[in-house]
Amino acid sequence: MTLSTPILWIFLPLGIAIVVLSFSQRRFFGIILTSATSFGLALLAHFFPENMIISIGPLNFIFKESLAIFGREVTVAYEVLPFIALIFSMTGLWALFSDLPNVPMTFRPISLMITSLMTASFGVEPFLYAALLIETAVLLSIPMLSPMGKQPHAGILRYLTLQTLAMPFILLAGWLLTGVEALPLDSPLVLQSALVLGLGLALLLAVFPFHSWVPMVSQRSNPLVVSFLLFIMPTTVLLFSLNFLNRYPFLRETETLFSTLRSVGTLLVAISGALTAIQSNLKRALGFGVLSETGFSLVAIGLAAEGGLTWMLMLFPVRGLSLWLWGMLLTRIEAANDDLSLAGMQGFARRFPMVSFALVLVQFSIVGMPMLGEFPVKLSLLTSLFGSNPILGTWAFIGNLGLVLFSLRLLLSVVSAGKSDPQAKWVRNEKLNEYLPILIMALFLLVIGIFPHALLSNITETLTVFGQLK
Amino acid sequence: MTFLTLLAFILIVIASMTILIFRDWRFNAVALAVQYLAAFVLVTRVWPVGMAVIKLIVGWMATTALALTCLRQKRLQTADESTASLIFRGLTGILVVLVIFVIAPILHQKIFLQLDLIILQGGLMLIGMGLMQMGTSSDSYLTIISLLSLLSGFEVIHAGLELSTLLTGLLAIVNLGLSLIGVYFITKTSDETLALIKPEERES
Repeated sequence: MTLSTPILWIFLPLGIAIVVLSFSQRRFFGIILTSATSFGLALLAHFFPENMIISIGPLNFIFKESLAIFGREVTVAYEVLPFIALIFSMTGLWALFSDLPNVPMTFRPISLMITSLMTASFGVEPFLYAALLIETAVLLSIPMLSPMGKQPHAGILRYLTLQTLAMPFILLAGWLLTGVEALPLDSPLVLQSALVLGLGLALLLAVFPFHSWVPMVSQRSNPLVVSFLLFIMPTTVLLFSLNFLNRYPFLRETETLFSTLRSVGTLLVAISGALTAIQSNLKRALGFGVLSETGFSLVAIGLAAEGGLTWMLMLFPVRGLSLWLWGMLLTRIEAANDDLSLAGMQGFARRFPMVSFALVLVQFSIVGMPMLGEFPVKLSLLTSLFGSNPILGTWAFIGNLGLVLFSLRLLLSVVSAGKSDPQAKWVRNEKLNEYLPILIMALFLLVIGIFPHALLSNITETLTVFGQLK
Repeated sequence: MTFLTLLAFILIVIASMTILIFRDWRFNAVALAVQYLAAFVLVTRVWPVGMAVIKLIVGWMATTALALTCLRQKRLQTADESTASLIFRGLTGILVVLVIFVIAPILHQKIFLQLDLIILQGGLMLIGMGLMQMGTSSDSYLTIISLLSLLSGFEVIHAGLELSTLLTGLLAIVNLGLSLIGVYFITKTSDETLALIKPEERES
């Protein structure tokens, strides 16, 4: 029997998501079906044989990499399966622990739909059409960010507007780039097309000055939903942007492009770090934390010659786990405390020590503190950036210090006794089933920090799909 | 340039100015429908009518979805606007028209040589007015209308550059998706507005 991989990783989850959406009021059905599908597809992607033949008893399933649709092709290549395994396993993780207060019913099916669309955006030919699939994912995300019964806030409208604006720029850049391939590098059209492309990607990745929606959305929407979206979208867009470098030699041979990426990435790290340091709301800090991560990814692409692309990919799994934990903790804290300002969090650790410990730990992990998940990669990135340009390296370091400062402020706030009860004693109001997954994940972040290559090297195989990028 | 193309361009200017100046959903819905018709005429210059008509149908479907939701929700009129705000938006619209007339020939000469100037001007006009609309309003309904206008303008320009069935289909999905998001926003806003009114007041 002949099947195609796009059916398996794009259309099957889309179909299941529609079923889950139809029964969105049945919470446990949705959780089980979404997480089982996601984990199942992730496992399949991880263990998929290179010869693309799966034998079950007398049945032989032969898989093709491509599927023709309206004269164009959608491909899910073997080389990209490690990345697909990552995004599906993360989707499963988010869905499995989505039975939390204030998480919208639509989150589970829509998250699966978004993951399918992101997988499709990876393999559609011509690859520029991915911009339309990303836009469709953005449209789908609106109901889960702004659930029924709540008025759409300014952040949602800004998010929708800026992401929609990105699509025309990407499509136009694709047309321009095809025309300028044969032109000499000093032709003004080369610069113009690079600028249009840069603008499109900057809008998609919420690069400064198009970043304002990120803290606004993270402040007003459910943290678990926001953390999922802020993981899956930038991660896929970053990988999608590598297509341009892979496809157009004049782009990857221009050193100015890479130095610009390093500068823009550093600017984003510095600005988001500075803004995080002065935040007083935990949910807004989540948004700025993600912006800082995007900045580091841009720096990594800018350091492609020094192995930056490998580091960028190695950051994805840890980032996914950290954001999941961060989103889940904030959702739990919001349900228990209501006030997510630093002032409102005073004395929280005295009532919920495990959750507070994990929250501080996950923030330190994102910062890249020693022994934690992102430390090895962030250290390599900062060292390499400092080597190529000490000024940029210093600014990136200062930006990262902003995140450290906020984490320290949070730590001081949660352990200090509240003004209402200065003599509050340390008690534990958490149940084992609530804090056990949190503790396991916190422990896992520690293990990744100690053995990074053993756990993160698999994802770097995805780079083989970009044959021209070494 | 045929008379029909010129007429389509003039209709685009009038319709997009109407959307920019007036906030009444009925004016906006009619203007949006006219805008899609004019955009369709421009696209038929470079595409077969059978393909171009997809954009018209999708545009009208999006308009109908938004208009019917407004009608059903008895969308409350915005407070009477001062003449000054209408004049201000009218002047910003004229500014956009002037800017487009200045930059379109330059863009045509330097980048979009293969496009007809009138198609480029029509597309840019829609994009410019859409952007201006976005800048002058924070209302969710008007934001969706401006995004639809902007995409319509881009589609007019892109039609002259590439003909692809898959792209047309995906753009149709995006347009319809945007209008559905608009419906979602309008429904929510209206529900909340009604919830604020006491039941006895609602009945009266």
